[in-house]
Amino acid sequence: MLEVKLECPKCKNQITIQVKQGEKILITCPKCKTQGTFTLPTEKSVQQESKKEDILIVEHLRKTFDKDILAVDNISFRVHKGEIFGFLGPNGAGKSTTIKILTTLLKKTSGKATIDGFDIDAQQAQVRRIIGYSSQDVGVDNDLTARENLLLQCQFHHIPKKKAKKKVDELLKTVKLIEAADRRLKTFSGGMRKRLDLASSLVSGPKILFLDEPTTGLDPQSRQDIWDYVIKLNRQGMTIFLTTQYMEEADHLANRLCIIDQGKIVAQGTPAELKEKIGTDKIKLLFKIDDVESCEKARKLLFKLPGIETVGECGLGLVSENGLTIMTKNGSAMFVRVVRALDEEDISFEQLTLSVPTLDEVFLKLTGKTLDVIERKKAVKPVGRRR
Amino acid sequence: MNFMEMLSEIVSIFNRWNKKLVRQPILIFFNLIQPLVWFLLFTQAFSAIGDIPSFQLLTGTSSYVTFFTAAVIIQTITSSALSSGLGLVTDFDSGFMDKMRVAPISKSSILFGRLFSAALTTIIQVAIIIVIGFALGVTIASGMVGIIIIFILTALFGIAWSGISLFVALTTKNQETTLSVGLLTTFPLLFLSAAVMPLGLLPDWVQQVAKVNPFTYVAQAFQSLIINGFEWDKIEYALIAILIVGVLSVGASIMVFRKKIS
Repeated sequence: MLEVKLECPKCKNQITIQVKQGEKILITCPKCKTQGTFTLPTEKSVQQESKKEDILIVEHLRKTFDKDILAVDNISFRVHKGEIFGFLGPNGAGKSTTIKILTTLLKKTSGKATIDGFDIDAQQAQVRRIIGYSSQDVGVDNDLTARENLLLQCQFHHIPKKKAKKKVDELLKTVKLIEAADRRLKTFSGGMRKRLDLASSLVSGPKILFLDEPTTGLDPQSRQDIWDYVIKLNRQGMTIFLTTQYMEEADHLANRLCIIDQGKIVAQGTPAELKEKIGTDKIKLLFKIDDVESCEKARKLLFKLPGIETVGECGLGLVSENGLTIMTKNGSAMFVRVVRALDEEDISFEQLTLSVPTLDEVFLKLTGKTLDVIERKKAVKPVGRRR
Repeated sequence: MNFMEMLSEIVSIFNRWNKKLVRQPILIFFNLIQPLVWFLLFTQAFSAIGDIPSFQLLTGTSSYVTFFTAAVIIQTITSSALSSGLGLVTDFDSGFMDKMRVAPISKSSILFGRLFSAALTTIIQVAIIIVIGFALGVTIASGMVGIIIIFILTALFGIAWSGISLFVALTTKNQETTLSVGLLTTFPLLFLSAAVMPLGLLPDWVQQVAKVNPFTYVAQAFQSLIINGFEWDKIEYALIAILIVGVLSVGASIMVFRKKIS
């Protein structure tokens, strides 16, 4: 028998239960009466869980241009089936080079990579049948209409005419271009082109979709549209590999990600794991300016709360403030607990804020520079059309 | 490689280029400007060449315009062919090429689709030239069948010469280079061939160059079809010359295209 602490998903109440390994039990939350089952995983099932199937395996990949320019420097990573995997880094970090190698557009210098078991060099034809690729440049033909562009892609994938027609209509609807379907792309906005490009990389129903900076240069609304669409595709089971130079995007979309800088992977993990590396979440609590008593009471109370690492001194911070700062590993969960603890003791407070570390901070810590600065410095793209 | 699959790939790429052309018909006329200037002005200025007795003896006509029609056709073919690489460069720049390369289609299909569409464009242009020739009083001795043979030779020579442009385009991926390499090679070759002057009237050294210049053989085939009728040996020589150029240029393009990728 083991003692396990659980949190009710609805009211966040803490429940302690006794359970055997591998046994499934029914739990009722004593507070809000929500019911649910719980199975304590056995060691074997824990192993199985962590051994998710990898669709993309990259080992010691290197790429040099002109003998001495090292664009990709010995990178290794795995992408699980069904996840969104992000490649985050500034311009010129080697993101596009990597994606071009993986999509068979560029020959690697050394290393190994397989997609769904197929070697990207020895089995290019098979690889091309199961991947979709949407480049940074938006590969659509401006002289053709949206429908013609998609039909052409269908032809490239040898999809029979009837099926292609249906498929194209379907895709045009999902990317909200059905009304503009028979217009030539010359009249299309950047966002519309990008959506069409995305649709065109999907005609074959790829197992894995490669998106090279899908939202770079798009307006906020178009960006949101692409994000929504990417999430929708992923929910339908598609594995997505995307590169981005936006922290926000990686944070929003990626289940797991690599941070890449100057051709090297400097960190990989889930966004939460990466942020955790940076340290702790901060919860800031403010009281009425003259209510020093409440602040002291809260300080003593919170100090005893499990999960809290440190509680700062009252009144520290800005001179005009009466408050304290709490450091914790798990800010969002602790946030609720703090509120509840204060509530139970009838301590009134004015304001409660939670701040979590951002991926920007992660990047700054790992590379000693911020993405913004690098972006500005490398405004002129060095990689360009080099192959 | 499945032959039917490749055929369908070529057809879809061929259709794509044709659609692009129909939507920008100005492109058909763009390449025609230079040959037309030559056809209309050069022949006027040099019409006296037709009066030279040995010219008549060597060519079988006293009309320089008639003789020169072959040169204009060749110029039309080559200047049209040399811009066919430009389309590929645009595709590289727009990212469309990457889209095609990621698709499970053969590299050769991408090139052949482009080449066949270029050939079709050239046939249209040569048809326009022939109509203008009629207006200038040119007659074609071999008649309708001869015109069809001219079109066939046009298409084949167009494909062979386009291969050079594709090769430059694939190697440099640069519009300007692709265009200027084309212009720089075409003009000298035209004047170092039997296209503008019968072989016998050319200076000795030029004759030597002209004899290994494919333009000479293609020009002589056209000249014979226009002036004399059917001289199959001339057509044969033209086909051999075109075959040699075509195998080299298209072969080199395919090789360079494959190598760039894998």
